[in-house]
Amino acid sequence: MAKVILPADMGQLWEAMEAHPEARLYAGGTDLLVRLRAQAGPPPALVCLERLEELRIIEERGGELFLGAGATHAQILEHPKVRGRLPVLARALASLGSPQVRNMGTLGGNLVTASPAGDSLPPLYVLGAEVQLISRKAGRRLPITEFIKGPGRVDLNPGEVVAGVCLPKSEGWTLQHFEKVGRRDALAIALVSLAALLRLSSEGVVEEARLAWGSVGPTVMRAPQAEAALKGRPLGLASLGEAAELAGQALTPIDDLRASASYRRRVAGNLLLRLAEREA
Amino acid sequence: MNPRGFQDGRKTSRDGDLAKARGLEMFAADRYGAGMLWAGVRRAGVAHAAIEGVDTSRALAAPGVVAALTHADIKGSNRQGVIQRDQPVLADDRVRHRGDAVALVVAETRQALAAALELISLQLSELPAVFDPDQALAKGAPIIHPGHAGGNLLLGGRVETGRGEAVLAECAAMVEAEYRLPWQEHAYLETEAGWAIQEDDGRLIIVSSTQTPFRDRQEVAEALGLDPARLRMIAPPTGGAFGGKDGVSVQSLLALAALACPGRPIKMWWSREESFLASPKRHRARLRYRLGADSQGRFQALAAEIVYDTGPYDHLGGAVLTLGLEHAGGPYRIPNALIEARAVYTNNPVSGAFRGFGVPQVAAAMEMTVDLLAAKLGRDPLDLRRLNAVRRGDIIAPGVTLTGSTEIGQCLDRLEAHDLWRGRRAWKEAAGPFQRRGVGVAAVMHAVGYGPMVPDVGNAKIELGADGVFSLFCGVVEMGQGNSATYGLLAERVLGQEPGSVRLIQPDTDRCLPSGSASASRTTFTFGNAVLGAATLLRERLLARAADALLGVAPAEMALLPGRVRHLPTGKELPLDLLARLMTPEQRVAVHRHRAPASTQRPSADPVLQMHGLPHEVFSFGAVLAAVEIDELTGRLRVERLITAVDCGGLIDPLLAERQVEGAVVQGLGYGLYEEFLAREGRVLSPDLATYIIPTALDAPEMETVFVPGHEESGPLGLKGVGEVGIDGPLPALANALRDAVGDCPRRFPLTPERVLEALAGAGERGGRP
Ligand SMILES: Cc1cc2nc3c(=O)[nH]c(=O)nc-3n(C[C@H](O)[C@H](O)[C@H](O)COP(=O)(O)OP(=O)(O)OC[C@H]3O[C@@H](n4cnc5c(N)ncnc54)[C@H](O)[C@@H]3O)c2cc1C
Repeated sequence: MAKVILPADMGQLWEAMEAHPEARLYAGGTDLLVRLRAQAGPPPALVCLERLEELRIIEERGGELFLGAGATHAQILEHPKVRGRLPVLARALASLGSPQVRNMGTLGGNLVTASPAGDSLPPLYVLGAEVQLISRKAGRRLPITEFIKGPGRVDLNPGEVVAGVCLPKSEGWTLQHFEKVGRRDALAIALVSLAALLRLSSEGVVEEARLAWGSVGPTVMRAPQAEAALKGRPLGLASLGEAAELAGQALTPIDDLRASASYRRRVAGNLLLRLAEREA
Repeated sequence: MNPRGFQDGRKTSRDGDLAKARGLEMFAADRYGAGMLWAGVRRAGVAHAAIEGVDTSRALAAPGVVAALTHADIKGSNRQGVIQRDQPVLADDRVRHRGDAVALVVAETRQALAAALELISLQLSELPAVFDPDQALAKGAPIIHPGHAGGNLLLGGRVETGRGEAVLAECAAMVEAEYRLPWQEHAYLETEAGWAIQEDDGRLIIVSSTQTPFRDRQEVAEALGLDPARLRMIAPPTGGAFGGKDGVSVQSLLALAALACPGRPIKMWWSREESFLASPKRHRARLRYRLGADSQGRFQALAAEIVYDTGPYDHLGGAVLTLGLEHAGGPYRIPNALIEARAVYTNNPVSGAFRGFGVPQVAAAMEMTVDLLAAKLGRDPLDLRRLNAVRRGDIIAPGVTLTGSTEIGQCLDRLEAHDLWRGRRAWKEAAGPFQRRGVGVAAVMHAVGYGPMVPDVGNAKIELGADGVFSLFCGVVEMGQGNSATYGLLAERVLGQEPGSVRLIQPDTDRCLPSGSASASRTTFTFGNAVLGAATLLRERLLARAADALLGVAPAEMALLPGRVRHLPTGKELPLDLLARLMTPEQRVAVHRHRAPASTQRPSADPVLQMHGLPHEVFSFGAVLAAVEIDELTGRLRVERLITAVDCGGLIDPLLAERQVEGAVVQGLGYGLYEEFLAREGRVLSPDLATYIIPTALDAPEMETVFVPGHEESGPLGLKGVGEVGIDGPLPALANALRDAVGDCPRRFPLTPERVLEALAGAGERGGRP
């Protein structure tokens, strides 16, 4: 039987982590428990983050929006500050897993798992999220692009936990878009996904574009060339087609059981074309 | 999903849908017990090898281990299987696929079991293996069963009618195509599981998740060298089976474990990965079809060549092949045909029984080919089917005359009249940006029952208990279809009792009577008639006894009413519990044996094909209309609506019948769109439900089931089987819809977004948009 520690406040958490440095942290367990099941040998001690109110906060802080790492996807989705104002994130979370998985899984878990297919990640990249880390003695904050270093690799030191992510004040995006391509409509791992933020002038000219793709590289991928190809031009199939071409060149997908690299590359570009049909 | 489900206030499944949904229905896997041991097997891990030794000593010495057994501990034939007994309980001389069980361990806990299984050392000397059926039949291929007369050919079958394939050359229009259908995994909720104990008197009780408790008893007894009377098999409702439990999985292993550990309950429960590796799949198949018609569009000739990859053991592969052969030409009049089918041994995972039983593969090939022919002839595909569809008395491609009820014409008429078909052009044109829409049709038929040789028998037993409550002893397993609820309805109807009042006893070889497998669309068809017979017998006996007791002159003066018998002329009543106590226990029990009609036609002189089920006497029919939307950017194919018109004769419980069709449709869509069981060199590449994608509730389209009126003389209340006919049509219907939408359709399945995108690109290059 695994030892499971359920700290009720941050003090107890630090104590538990110090007393059991070998223990694994988990929140919803929807990633960790699946991985542990596949492991041979006795299960490690577990420290559960579920009861820590401090990690579940969702609030505005000095113009930023703070999303606690322990908030479940369902909680974030239901929050008025997300649902109304951050459709790019809301759409992504609404496509994550199934109702059961969204009720258990957390933002922190999705971040630390750092899968290239993690559905919250492309929106967080385009939104310019920063990750807030805390330990018993200190805290630090770093851009998500630095926090996530590779598939399953993050900049997290022993004794640290993720407190949450900070999203800068929304920059007047005219169009927020997320689309995930999966093998089915629920419980689908992304074959490719796209998060896009566009700011258009009143004439429909792209002033700024931010694009991020999931499942087409070791981490979420950006394609600055594609973003540049959209900037200063009216949003339409012509500019999007060009951007799609450039994106296809920039991304580095792999073949796996679910889809081939060439499919992913092609569809990653194609997904941009959908923006032509999205109403601003 | 029919929204009527719970709302119409009709309770159909007496065990309760809600209880099932809440997990309260007890499966074999749910059984535990004080002092229970865990049993598990060490699997070979190589595809083909000679076994030089199996050393269990380190496992036996490990903490918590109670027994570690090998084939040397087996006293019987160590062979199981339904037709050819070619599968060892524990591999002895040879390993024939990676999932072969080589040693059995019994331990105090699951952890101790897992650790001990690792400690078993296998000395294997690898043999060249073969994974492709064509290569398996080539000269010099490694032979998987050296004793088998056909080499790697488990069974080959050939039927030629009329002037055979020669007629193709004379046809005004001829099309040909080759298709590949993948393995399909049953993916039931409850993986293979069971529980056993050897009691003080030496009897073995085995509770398992099975479709075939009576046959299991015989197989286990033979394989382990036991007196069958020593075995008591109990078969609770299963958490799904779909053919995957039509045969022995844990049963012999549990019996062997129980022999070694008397007095202790023992449980075996395969993990999902183990189930994927070791349980049978739907046969993957390669099919080459040529179909020709005259200038009017009348089908003239069919040539079909079908190769089934059966894996290393005969898990009903011969029967699958034979059913494929019989259904190869679909529900059409085709006067000239050459149909050849082969089931081939390979070192891949085992293939076997799966809802549809060889028919989904041929229905896919035939129905896609019919659409190719329609395109070539410039004919409307539904119209072409109506022109060629069989009527009662017609002869299908393998030369079988349809003597039973045959309502495929009505099924097609209903689709033709459907607003989806009538309005298809407008619907297609209304597709949004980057979307294409298409509508496709398929027509299918499905045999009911075992065929001419294997006795298709049900033995029903009904008892009036001393408490005045009737019990119905079911001989066929309840595997989620609600068949026992239907038996209850039949018995209540004859016995004049309230719905839901008859107690249902699930199969138990000590209490119920052998009635064959829960398979082959035969369950209600065959056992239902046995129930009617037993109920009628018992009613007559009760009325006669009551007439005596109430001084009635004749049973005709008596009425069997809920809970009582009334003497009509006087109004005097006798409660059933009192009546029961006026009778001896033997008098209160009625049994009836029913054998389903066996065809006397002989379309093939080959006795082996006859034994494997050619031909059948009764068929159900179905026609499917599928409306799909395809995203040009991603290749995502979404089935928007799916209409199934079904001829399953009379209906006893329309809601249960509709659920059979809907369940089959969703499983059929899984086959067509999502499910891709992959193995390379016999190694499973899709080992779990994260990699093997099955449809979820969200993926189910809007479904509609239309039952056309029909009556089958030989069925109980005129019904025919409905368990399988729904799975044959969805794949070809949606493939035809895809072709309708984009002008092309892959010939490999499932239709992943990637394959669909390729089809779009291919059709685009040829300017193929219709
Ligand atoms: C059936 C199923 C379907 C799924 N579908 C999807 C999907 O569609 N899209 C998707 O993106 N994901 C999916 N997932 C994966 C998973 O649900 C998500 O990644 C989820 O967000 C993980 O959160 P969790 O709280 O359950 O993580 P856990 O399993 O609790 O933890 C995961 C990892 O994060 C670490 N961790 C968690 N919280 C913290 C913290 N605050 N500080 C430091 N480390 C922490 C843990 O130590 C562990 O290493 C699915 C999982 C399952 C089982």
